[in-house]
Amino acid sequence: MRSASASAAPRMTEAEARPQRLHVLTVILRFIKRAPSTLVVPPLALGFAGKEFHPVLAFGAFGAIAAAVILMTFLDWWCFTYRIGAEEVLIQQGVLRRSRRSIPRARIQDVSIERGPFARIVGLALVKLETGGGEKEEAHLDSVSLAEAERLRALLRSHSPAAVAQAGDAAAPEPAPERRTIFAMSLGRVLIEGVFGFSLVWIAAIYGGLHYLGEILQLDWEELFGEAQRVAVARFSIVALVLVAGLALLVSLVAGIVRTLLRDYGFTLTHEAGRFRRVRGLLTRSEVVIADRRIQLGLVHRGMISGRLGWNSVEVQTLGGSTDPSGRQGLAPFATKEEAAEVLAATPLPTFERVGLRPVAPAHILRSALRHGMPVALVFAIAGWFLPLLWWGLLLVPVPVIVALFQRAHHRYALRDTSLQVMRGVLSQRDWVVPFDSIQTLTVRQGLLQRWLGVATVSVDTAGASGWHRPNVSDAPLDAALALAEALAAKVD
Amino acid sequence: MTLAIVPLTPLERGQLHVIRLRALRNAIVLLVAAGAAEWFVPNLPMPGLFLAPVILLALWMVVLAPPRRWRRWGYAFTGTELHVEHGLFTRVHTIVPVLRVQHIDVQQDVLERLFKVATLVLHTAGTDDNVVILPGVARATAEAIRDAIRERIGSAAHD
Repeated sequence: MRSASASAAPRMTEAEARPQRLHVLTVILRFIKRAPSTLVVPPLALGFAGKEFHPVLAFGAFGAIAAAVILMTFLDWWCFTYRIGAEEVLIQQGVLRRSRRSIPRARIQDVSIERGPFARIVGLALVKLETGGGEKEEAHLDSVSLAEAERLRALLRSHSPAAVAQAGDAAAPEPAPERRTIFAMSLGRVLIEGVFGFSLVWIAAIYGGLHYLGEILQLDWEELFGEAQRVAVARFSIVALVLVAGLALLVSLVAGIVRTLLRDYGFTLTHEAGRFRRVRGLLTRSEVVIADRRIQLGLVHRGMISGRLGWNSVEVQTLGGSTDPSGRQGLAPFATKEEAAEVLAATPLPTFERVGLRPVAPAHILRSALRHGMPVALVFAIAGWFLPLLWWGLLLVPVPVIVALFQRAHHRYALRDTSLQVMRGVLSQRDWVVPFDSIQTLTVRQGLLQRWLGVATVSVDTAGASGWHRPNVSDAPLDAALALAEALAAKVD
Repeated sequence: MTLAIVPLTPLERGQLHVIRLRALRNAIVLLVAAGAAEWFVPNLPMPGLFLAPVILLALWMVVLAPPRRWRRWGYAFTGTELHVEHGLFTRVHTIVPVLRVQHIDVQQDVLERLFKVATLVLHTAGTDDNVVILPGVARATAEAIRDAIRERIGSAAHD
């Protein structure tokens, strides 16, 4: 493959003229990927259709379906071509319904390469052309050889405006752009992150998975666990309860570690020529490129427990969003305070300063208490109506109320030279840095209760936001809120 | 206007009628549904169980609410920002910096055409409040604001 790329380089221009197909191994790869749903289940279902297993029917079905799937996959592959023109990338696909997609090269923001476990074994890579229009707008080349992927990336990037600007700067004494590592995680660090990544949700997921597996394999749970269950019920005690709870915690812990290891193993963030490059993953190795100029805002998040121990996560919101669960791109999932500051310093974002932040109105405490206490009270009040045991849940109501007492102390904001900075959250804390350039619209909102309390909320709308959290300033005194909105609007223009 | 950042201009009088007629349409739907429930549900404990509250609600929707809602709307175009304020219970004041506008629509449905008003719609690249709507302005006003914004974006792009 290395020699192929070497020989491809000199006749690059010639190769661009005609459409190219994906790597031929793709056919086999897709065939294997589709196998569980097409090759295994239907023949088995057919074979078992009667009372007993019909091998002839099953194998016949297997053969027919396998042939059909191979033919379809092959035709799909044959009809998919891509061509890198001087001005645009042209992708044609579809056997019966042909579709032609043309992407102007100037619109291609980034080219990222992703490699799943199968692809890594056979030396293939999935190439994504990101256009900044969100997931659906993107073009995927699934899959080409790794050498071809790297060639495409080099070729397409050479056209992007950032790279052009870089070429312009090249006249300056500093020649080749250097790549430097901003943040990397050792195996030990990933494991520690995994410990804090435990979540009780995994118990439910694992239980669900076991149940599903049981359905398929027709295991006799009664026979397997019935005896154990009877013993357990007979000797039901606090010890048993503690044991079960301990086991649940252990399972969540292991699940959290495994999940984190799969996602963040070998996490490396580098920066070069106006863009970050993030590589991570154990089985699926993904590489994401984040151009500096697409960064909209920065967020440092400290978790409920890990945050107390000094661990931070750094995320940036980018134009076009992200497929990360938070909706933002994680630049450093588990960093010390100093490392987090270093990562933020590598971005074009201004630094977050804790000094000189202004508090919101005391009314924020009352509103937080109502906002977080009422749902808990309501849920248990209604649930208790049906199952009186759940009345005890009302004992939990003071928890959000007590947390609310500290909300005001942790919700502060300030207007800096080039950004709005907001900190928020008592247990789980967030520090936001929103450059004025990223602000799209400003909204001052005042609900009924807020009107009586004389406070208002200033919402700051930015591009590419998703998920729950926003860098809003809640319950500032009305005049301060109006002044903030006015000042921000003046800065934007 | 309580959220006074800039002095606001009220909407055209015609918009009050538009608001009222839309409320009337909604009220009729509700009244028909309540009438049907009254007719078809057997053994009502007392007549008017559905209809009475809905009639009260309809009166509020059509007679009392529209002038209040209409009065709560206001806008101001400063040349660099468009301010739009509205909301009967929750008051909302939105500021759109002109340079952030991606594209602009001027819309007029049948009802709006009848009362000689138009709706100005500003689109930004934002997420939650990316569409800012200003209804109930004269078509000429809407077009004047649109042209001013277009010109300003154009001149900024050439800087």
